[in-house]
Order: sequence, then C-alpha cells, then structure tokens
Amino acid sequence: MLLPLLRSSCFPSSSPGGGSGGGSGGGLDAGAGDRPEAQLQRGIRGLPGPLERADVEPGADPRRAAEAEGAPGPGARGPGAGGGGRRAEREPYACMDPAAALQRRAGGGGGLGAGSPALSGGQARRRKQPPRPADFKLQVIIIGSRGVGKTSLMERFTDDTFCEACKSTVGVDFKIKTVELRGKKIRLQIWDTAGQERFNSITSAYYRSAKGIILVYDITKKETFDDLPKWMKMIDKYASEDAELLLVGNKLDCETDREITRQQGEKFAQQITGMRFCEASAKDNFNVDEIFLKLVDDILKKMPLDILRNELSNSILSLQPEPEIPPELPPPRPHVRCC
Amino acid sequence: MADSLPTEFDVIIIGTGLPESILAAACSRSGQRVLHLDSRSYYGGNWASFNFSGLLSWLKEYQQKSDVAEESTASWQGLIHETEEAITLRKTDETIQHTEVFCYANQDMDDKIEETDALQKNPSSLTSSTLTKPLDSACLSEETHSYVTSYEMPAKDIPKNDGEISLEVSGVEGTLAEEKYCGDETCRHTVSGGDTDENKPIEEDNTDQLKRNRITYSQIVKESRRFNIDLVSKLLYSQGLLIDLLIKSNVSRYAEFKNVTRILAFREGKVEQVPCSRADVFNSKELTMVEKRILMKFLTFCLDYEQHPDQYQAFMQCSFSEYLKTKKLTPNLQHFVLHSIAMTESSCTTIDGLKATKNFLQCLGRFGNTPFLFPLYGQGEIPQCFCRMCAVFGGIYCLRHKVQCLVVDKESGRCKAIIDHLGQRINAKYFIVEDSYLSEKTCSNIQYKQISRAVLITDQSILKTDSDQQISILIVPPADSGTCAVRVTELCSSTMTCMKDTYLVHLTCSSSKTAREDLESVVKKLFTPYTEAAINEEELTKPRLLWALYFNMRDSSGVSRSSYNGLPSNVYVCSGPDCGLGNEHAVKQAETLFREIFPSEEFCPPPPNPEDIIFDGDDKQPEVSGTNNIIMAKLDSSEGSKNLESPGKHLEN
Repeated sequence: MLLPLLRSSCFPSSSPGGGSGGGSGGGLDAGAGDRPEAQLQRGIRGLPGPLERADVEPGADPRRAAEAEGAPGPGARGPGAGGGGRRAEREPYACMDPAAALQRRAGGGGGLGAGSPALSGGQARRRKQPPRPADFKLQVIIIGSRGVGKTSLMERFTDDTFCEACKSTVGVDFKIKTVELRGKKIRLQIWDTAGQERFNSITSAYYRSAKGIILVYDITKKETFDDLPKWMKMIDKYASEDAELLLVGNKLDCETDREITRQQGEKFAQQITGMRFCEASAKDNFNVDEIFLKLVDDILKKMPLDILRNELSNSILSLQPEPEIPPELPPPRPHVRCC
Repeated sequence: MADSLPTEFDVIIIGTGLPESILAAACSRSGQRVLHLDSRSYYGGNWASFNFSGLLSWLKEYQQKSDVAEESTASWQGLIHETEEAITLRKTDETIQHTEVFCYANQDMDDKIEETDALQKNPSSLTSSTLTKPLDSACLSEETHSYVTSYEMPAKDIPKNDGEISLEVSGVEGTLAEEKYCGDETCRHTVSGGDTDENKPIEEDNTDQLKRNRITYSQIVKESRRFNIDLVSKLLYSQGLLIDLLIKSNVSRYAEFKNVTRILAFREGKVEQVPCSRADVFNSKELTMVEKRILMKFLTFCLDYEQHPDQYQAFMQCSFSEYLKTKKLTPNLQHFVLHSIAMTESSCTTIDGLKATKNFLQCLGRFGNTPFLFPLYGQGEIPQCFCRMCAVFGGIYCLRHKVQCLVVDKESGRCKAIIDHLGQRINAKYFIVEDSYLSEKTCSNIQYKQISRAVLITDQSILKTDSDQQISILIVPPADSGTCAVRVTELCSSTMTCMKDTYLVHLTCSSSKTAREDLESVVKKLFTPYTEAAINEEELTKPRLLWALYFNMRDSSGVSRSSYNGLPSNVYVCSGPDCGLGNEHAVKQAETLFREIFPSEEFCPPPPNPEDIIFDGDDKQPEVSGTNNIIMAKLDSSEGSKNLESPGKHLEN
C-alpha cells in the first residue's frame, strides 16, 4: 500500500507575484526573477553533488523562526529585514488534497510544483496567504556500510539528484524536506552519517533523536548485508525504542549484479518487530519517495497527536531554529515511475 | 568491509575529549585534513557518558590489573629511520583511581536480570537458518538480547548463569571489598565481594516500607540503556563560552538541552531553593519582605558593580564572604550569594566574588529561570557533536585506534608522523595529543591534581516538590577549612540520563583524598542508603540511595605545556576535564591552541548558509549568515516568554 507521490506537491511554486512565497524554484518558473521582499528565501536547486563540501551543507538557518514544535517562537530577525517579526512564510499549497494528487499522477508526474506553468501562473496571481508552519518536525537517520548509497537515497528524495561519481560523503550534514501526510505538514530532517561509518566510528549521539531509521545495504555487495547485525547492535544500544525501522536494499538498478535476494532481505527484516523492508534504486529513482513517505507514515501512525504536547511539557530546548523552508526542488522529471 | 586509512593529513588529533573535539571541528572547518583518533571504542575519553552496563564495563577496566607492560618492546622500532626518534605513547590509561561501588538496592536473586534492548526480536523468526552467520547465532541464542557488544557483557552473562545474578557486578565489587571500610555501617549492606554464592538478597524487612516503590538492582540493569552517566559533571552557562560556540558554529543543532530548573542550597541540615531571579525573589516564601528588598538591591548592584566602585573599593583586600557581611545581608542571604550564586570558595576575593555573581545574573533569562542548561542525554554528547561537525567537513574518524608513538625528525626536532597499533605510519604537520595518552616519561615532572567524583542513583529528589522533573544544582560549602565545596547536580529522568522514577546525582569536588573520603559525608547528609531506611524513621524523608560509585579522575587542566618533557614544537597537548562547573576551560584551551597553530584562520565560523548558494543564475539574495547570534530558544509555553529578554531584565524595575 504505497502512498501517492507527494514529493513535488509539497513545495509551493515560486512566487513571481511577489509576497511571501518561499523559495523560488527557478527552473520553469518564468517569474523567478522577481524578488519582492528581502525576506524571500531562495532554496538550493540541484546540488552538484556531495563532493563539494561547503556548498552542500543545508541545515539550520538561524534566522528563521522556530516552528513545528507547536510553540511558535519569537519572530526571526533576518538580516536587513528589520524588526519584522516572523519571516515571510509560504502560502498553503493548492494541491494538498487527494484529487489534485491524482490529477498530477495521471498527468505523468508533471508535478504541480515549480514545473507546472499553468498552475504556478495561477498561483502567482493568487494572493499569498501565510502558510501553515509544519505541524511536526521529524528526524530520520540513514545508516549502513560505506558505499551502499545512503547519501544517494537521501539526495534523490530531497533534491531529486543523483551523482554516480560522488563516492564520498563530505560536507553533507542533513537535508530537510517538507512532506504532507495525513493532513499534517511534516518537516523531515534527514541526517547523513558524515562518513563516520567508514571506520565504524559513528557517534552514539547520531542515533539519539531519530524517530525513523533507514538501514541500507547494497544488493550487489554481500558484505554490506553481512554488516547489518553490526548496525542493529548500534541501533539496539543507542536508538530510541520508538524509532521506526526500515531496511532498504539499494541499487536495484543493478539487478544483474545482485548478490542478496529479496527473500534474504525480507527475512532479516522479519526478525525485528516492526522493521519494514523494501528494495530501491536511487539511481533510477525507484521506490525512493515511497521509502521515506512510508517511514514517515509509520511514524505518524504510531505517534499520537499529543506528541507535541509531550515534547512541550518536556521543555526541550533547541538552541537554533530550523530553517522554515527546505531546499527547493528542481522541476519534477517528466515521467515518474510508479510502484 | 575493511577500508584503509589514508596516510597523509594536516592534523592528527589523539583523544576525543571536549577540547580535542572542538579543535578538530575548528581545524576541519578551516579546511585542514583532520584525522581524529581515539584508542577507546567510544567517544569522549574522560568526558564520555555510559549507560549503566557500559559504566560497569568501564569500571572493570580500571580494576583489572593490566598485564601489558607500559614500556614493552617497541614494535615500531623497525618502522622509523635513523634520522628519526620516537616518543612512545601510553598503552593503558591511568587517569582513574580509587573506584568504589556500593550497591544498596535489592539484589533479589529471583529476579532475572536481562537488559532490555531497543528492539523486540520477533520470536517466530528465531528458527531461521538461512541467514548469514552472525545473524544466525544471534537469532538462535537463548539470550533475549542478541546484539550485545562487549559493553553489555555484564548483563549478557547473567541469564546464562542462573542464580549468579550480577556476576559481573559482584566481580567488580569483589575486588573492591578490600577498599571498603568494614566498620562503616553502610558497608554492611553492600554486596559482598568475591563469588556469587555470597550474593544474598538484602534484608527483606524493607517490605514494610510500602510508601515508596522499591527499585531493585535488576531493574536498574534491565533499564541500563536509559542511563547516560557522565564521567564529568558540568553544566552549560547560558552566557558561557561553550553555548556561544555551539550557537556560533551551528554545532548546537546536533544537540538538545534542558533548563536547569532549580538552584539549591544546603543550610542547617536542610535543602532549600535559592531565589535568584526577580520573580523567584518576590515569590519566595522563605524570605521576609525586608530580606527580599535587601537581596534585590544587592543583586541589582552586582549586575553592574563596576559602575559603583565606591561600594566595594574599600573591601578589595578582604574576602568576598567578609565583604558580604558588611552589606546588610542576613546570614542566609550571605549563604545564598556566596555558595549558590557566586559559587566561589569562601576565600575568594571581593572582586572575584562580584564578578562571579554578575556572571550568574547575566545568564538568567536567556533560556530560562536559572543560568544553566544541561544537554539531553548528558554531557557526553557535546564532544560527539563537535566530532560530527569535523566529520561533515571531511574529518576522518577512527575509534579503537591506538597510537604507538610519535615519530620525530632528529634534526628539526619536529614531529612528522605517528605509528599506529597496526604499524601503519601516518604523516601530518601538526599533532594534538590528549594528556592521558602521554607516557610517564613525558609527564614525569607533573604533579597532577585530582577530581573527586561520585555518581549516585536515587529514588527521590533531595527537595521534593510538586513536579518530580527538576534539574537542580546544589553547592554544599566545605565542612571545614581544609576541604573544598562539593557541587551536587541532580538530574531527573527527562534529561534522558536515568530511568523513570530515579534520579541521577553527580557529586564533584577538587580532591583532597579519595573520592569516597571527600564525598561520602555529603552523600550521607543528603541520602539514606536504601536498605537502612527501616532503621531510622527520620531518614525516611531523605531520598534513598540505590547505587553509588566513587572515583578519582586526573585533573590535567592546570598543566602548562612546558611541564611535559621533550615535546616537539608541533605537538600540542589538550588536557582532560577540569573541576569547574562550566566548560570555559575546554573552550578557551581549544581556541588558544587553534590560534597558535592557525593564526590566520577563523575559529569555528558558522558554516555557509545553503541559501547563499544559487546555481541557476537567478537573482542572488545576499543573505548574511552572520546572524547566528540570535537565539531562538523554544521554551515551554508555561514558562512564559523569558527568552530574548536582556539578562538584566529580571532585576530591573
């Protein structure tokens, strides 16, 4: 039971008409040049790849106001934005309803996001409303042995990019993507290992606040599958008991080099209560969205709505606010493979 | 999947304690190729935190006699050239001494002690046999927790040896038997040392103590992973160097924090809450109206004392405590200011006392009602956060990686490389070594101070109030002039450092003697050993002590570089934890070293803002990323809007 592809629909189009739109996608949006306010944020488009360190570091933007934990923080003060209180926020997105999603799918995945001229035009003309801030912030981590494709999976999901040549993860800290599921807007923060798995030196701190854990192996390399118990040990020791687990056999595009069967993967996952399994390909963009969305869905199912209240009452402080607007997606690809 | 370590770096750092980790992040951030090593299997060195069974394993290491001769035959000899000489590093750590464990909680043998994992194994698949080997053995094993690492060994052994519960623990304590006072009443109730057959359950007369649920030792072991026990007990000053660095560098996004909710004082045998903010003072039920006014006036003065030299000039020569006596403060107010607000030793000067008081007051209101924050999951998270930042910028991390020696070029006197335990030579330009790795020969001139530490697991707060989720700090003034003040930090379970219905209490002081000798009297004043509760009705009001650990830790913080023998000019030393409450020393040290090695580089600048990077040639929005100084704390809405007030607001009219 897979969820509809909501990825591209979760981003508003650019707002050439000015106002409080969020990151403008550039790309197919004609009006991208318009920059009505100093507060308008631009997102990253199509990151070149993880090798370029400093460039590829997304993450916290201290200028943006805290949100998502339910207690709206005091307004962020952007540079030069004056004492303006809350930064301009995105408009609510038009196609959050299922009908729109279906329409988009039928249209071969030409998303209603930045790439759809008709809709973005319409949106451009619409008066901007302050968008609803995310209802939840969820932290998800990806672990697995070196070279299995952790960063690729993440980048495929958040930026819809894939860089075959990029071997090492340097400079990738975490990426953010806002998705909407079950009527809730969720800011998904996806953490990468920063390469610390190379010599088995991932910090215990990495596992701490993860609500979801994606454990990845490479179906064409047996040793990455044999390493799984080692990762399970770490999860066992340091991760929250409530974390949702997902096992992913990556590199499905290399079927001919397959060394681990699907059954083997399924069996491994079966041993752990609540661990899901699937195979995917970051390269071919197969099952990638599904992975993340399914994970988020599982987390949400488990998480009662009073999670927010719980967290508030625990008065946990985060010293820096999260960026309100995640990196912008490039225009959606012309055809999206359904699962 | 074995991966080989590169052999060329700019900087090699040995040790993952806090100063080393900050330095690693700074170096990596400024573009240096960093190799960061630790001989341990965990991050943090003496700054680390452990779950309960991990702590027991850690203890074991110090209790076993090391068979490895410190200066055994150097296998590196064949690996260096004639033009080089080697400076060997230590094989074993010797920074921890006088460890003593006292377990008061019920060790009923009938309880099966099994450590609970995060994961629930699916029993139906346990018979699977088509999987890879490690998995098979894990699945088919009778133990319920399959994926144990060596850390969990204490717990792991237990189910196998039915009836020999806490095998490991008693082994630990057994070796300590000699160290305990046998005459002391409390010792009678500790687990007897030696073999497990002596493992009798503690008196069953506790059963009439129905008021409080008895937490058993087996429960503690079972909930081992809920504990995150720091070796070093510190807090973060909300206006301190560490917080500022965390925010400036964006490393703070890797951690979460909680407000320390109470400042406590121990006076006349009672624990009381110290009012320190304006609201506290006025709401206090313990202070009279007159006292409130006097205290407010004094604290307001302290906030900018430099503007009123006439108020203290005359007293520059005398001690702060003397000075306070002249300020019309009543004795209990003097106590609050001296011990709970300034938190200085009684002998400190007036100026230092005023400075400390001001420092405290300035921290109020930045994030909460007290000047302090505590990291969720414990202090041991902080070095890891900096390590992650280092890794994000390309730093390479290797735990479990021992270094045999430093290789020094005879002619230039500079260090060129290290040789690791695998005989691999790794070159670099700069080397940073944490003190505990340096050999006895290198440190022969040094007289180290020590820090006395105690870690307690208790069942109730030392000051019971409506909310049981409080994080408190208490300074107990020295009992007599010879000893030091003892700092007590009590952590509730929502700090994620201890299991539900327990508290984790840390005691710290500068060592005069062994940790137990230094701290036990305070422990007795505040707590009652669990099993003794039946004896003295009065004692029922005190929280029960379930488990206690004492140890001394080396304090290498005051050691100057010149005290080390024969260090090449490009080898720098980081010290271990200091005794202070905040982390100022570690941050200052890291920054000083960084500026010495890389004088033209910026120290931990914020990483570039992703929004500054545009790829498609559209209008650039030149957002400045320098606004990291704005603090956006998300506070509990019930605390009201204390954030972003200027610190002095609490005391202003």
